[in-house]
Amino acid sequence: MRQKAKELLESGEVKVVIGYGQGSAPFKSTPIFIEKPEDAHKLIWNPTCVNNLTVYLRDACRQGKAAIVVKPCDARSIIELIRENQIERDDVVILAMSCPGVLNLDALAEIDLADVKSVEWHQSGIAIKTNAGETIIPSEKAFASKCLSCELAESPIADKKFGEPIERHPIRSKYADIEELEKMLPKERRAYWARQFARCIRCYACRSVCPGCYCKECFTDKPCQLWVLRSTDVESNWFFHFSRAMHTAGRCIACGECERVCPMGIPLMRLNQKMRKEVREMFGEEAGTNPEAPPTLGTFDLKNDPDPCSE
Amino acid sequence: MEAKVISKQDLATWIDALVKQYEVIAPVTEDGVVVFRQVSGLSEMTIEGMVGPAKSLREHFTPPTETLFDYKLEDLSAEVIPPENEERHRVIFGARACDAATLLYVGAVYSNVEPIDTAYFMRREKTYLVGLFCNKPAWSCFCTEVGDFLTNPVAMDVYLTDLGNRYYAEPLTPKGEELIGLGNFRPADENDKVANEEIRQKALERLPKRAEHETACLSYDWDHPVWTELAKKCLSCGACAFLCPTCHCFDIQEHPKLKKGSRYRCWDTCQFEKFTLMASGHNPRETRKERTRQRVFHKFKYSQERYCMLGCVGCGRCIAACPVNIDIRRVLEELEKTAVAK
Ligand code: SF4
Ligand code: SF4
Ligand code: SF4
Ligand code: SF4
Ligand code: SF4
Repeated sequence: MRQKAKELLESGEVKVVIGYGQGSAPFKSTPIFIEKPEDAHKLIWNPTCVNNLTVYLRDACRQGKAAIVVKPCDARSIIELIRENQIERDDVVILAMSCPGVLNLDALAEIDLADVKSVEWHQSGIAIKTNAGETIIPSEKAFASKCLSCELAESPIADKKFGEPIERHPIRSKYADIEELEKMLPKERRAYWARQFARCIRCYACRSVCPGCYCKECFTDKPCQLWVLRSTDVESNWFFHFSRAMHTAGRCIACGECERVCPMGIPLMRLNQKMRKEVREMFGEEAGTNPEAPPTLGTFDLKNDPDPCSE
Repeated sequence: MEAKVISKQDLATWIDALVKQYEVIAPVTEDGVVVFRQVSGLSEMTIEGMVGPAKSLREHFTPPTETLFDYKLEDLSAEVIPPENEERHRVIFGARACDAATLLYVGAVYSNVEPIDTAYFMRREKTYLVGLFCNKPAWSCFCTEVGDFLTNPVAMDVYLTDLGNRYYAEPLTPKGEELIGLGNFRPADENDKVANEEIRQKALERLPKRAEHETACLSYDWDHPVWTELAKKCLSCGACAFLCPTCHCFDIQEHPKLKKGSRYRCWDTCQFEKFTLMASGHNPRETRKERTRQRVFHKFKYSQERYCMLGCVGCGRCIAACPVNIDIRRVLEELEKTAVAK
């Protein structure tokens, strides 16, 4: 992958390679933007590569052709960006990694993070080396929850693939998180979300990290905020979250980034998965699978619309 | 003032006594996140085995949303109704030394110009802090680089250290003595003092050594290439600033409902693009380069120039929360390389 990145920069085919670099701790990676071929060695690939780097793609492609390192799940957002006309297929070189799963930082709760020396893949999960020795964290615990339900053996879109396809055995249903919520009475569900949203501090990290949130001006930033207040009371927070869920419906690829970055631990994937399930049932579509298909909520097919209202 | 000791069995009774007299706010685990909330007893609290920073105390001094006043409009006049202040005296239990140190800094900011921020100082006056020493600082902590308040606490009334089966308690103010008076404490003996010293030493070993940020920061490089680098990955989310206990910026907004309404203030941050957008359409901090620079300079340069203090207490929350691993310690290192060389 480093070799390929180097070649792409040397030949001038791309202006930048967006990838993962070593972060400020052994269990953290950080996005890097390589512009010189001699810097290609800074690219890394290990279980700490959790970010969905496609959030940077729109800006990068505007400056010229860009290459990007992706996991199979992240690659789905490239499909979305293409089908929503946010980038051109020809403006991106997709360096697709084969991915055993990425680290769920919470899995290290019992490990002294200040002591961690390295984080590597291991056949039965993730191996963490500390001053005290090596600990193997089993897959069910070590990997992000999206990885436990991942069905993607390899990237659905790619220019060059690295590593072997991975035989997937999802150990968890994609909708496992929402089963419990779906069983609740509306009143209970309301109380559940009210408690979650009461914690939201409206930092908008969930929005900023989302590759599907690309509006030039977000509805939350409109100066005339009469229906979505900037205040952090439950109602305003509620409005923000439901509007965002509606806006990303049909384009959320379930990368899990919004939930990962929420400093208040709000289980946003429960909203996203619900929306994905609804979209699948209503429109028979799954975001991030087909770059040729028109955007789900941006298309009207009156003839085949099963909704009687359209008659 | 004389150090005391309380056994862990007696802790619950002490807290019960505090709850009777005060509103007690303490760390609580809510859906996996540690937040400071009002509690009614020890069983609700998460104070043991907490590695690393919980959510800061900030919201209890400057709430994320605070009503300034309500109003009613009648023809051409308006009636302004001030908010009700009915907060009881309160004890914040288990505050970290970094959070307490924040109070000096934020206090300086909010009293710098007239009129001073009365809502903030009213809350300060009504609050007693029972601090808790960090036995096991997190990977992201660097308070020792920006001050020595971990061992010489400021703005606290009592300082507790967990000695395993008991707490070592130092009253730091007369109010702190009173609080201790409500529990079954005994004077600390030599044994306790040695144990306390040992635990402190062990914690200090985990932390970086004191850095000379104060001198280096003043000569930071305005055009350092690090800003361009950061700007590439920073998402301009507000996570770093909203978790930061020293960040204090707010916006004032209005919520009109026909003939009545309210004016409130809510957290805002220089990391948001619209923060400095002017009515003319000009934005002096238009790109992320200017915005990332503002955050670091505000804490490490402007604060010193204005208040002779660093605006960062090294709590590491921004480091742990940044979605793209922008680590302020590494940024400082980069800056200081050139600053010192100058
Ligand atoms: S990241 Fe979390 S706290 Fe921040 S706005 Fe989103 S849900 Fe709220
Ligand atoms: S809404 Fe969340 S899970 Fe969906 S694409 Fe955006 S960041 Fe990823
Ligand atoms: S800048 Fe970061 S480390 Fe410093 S006080 Fe704020 S959150 Fe803590
Ligand atoms: S860093 Fe930014 S948000 Fe924080 S206090 Fe300074 S200007 Fe305000
Ligand atoms: S948390 Fe990180 S990405 Fe977000 S504004 Fe702060 S530095 Fe930028």
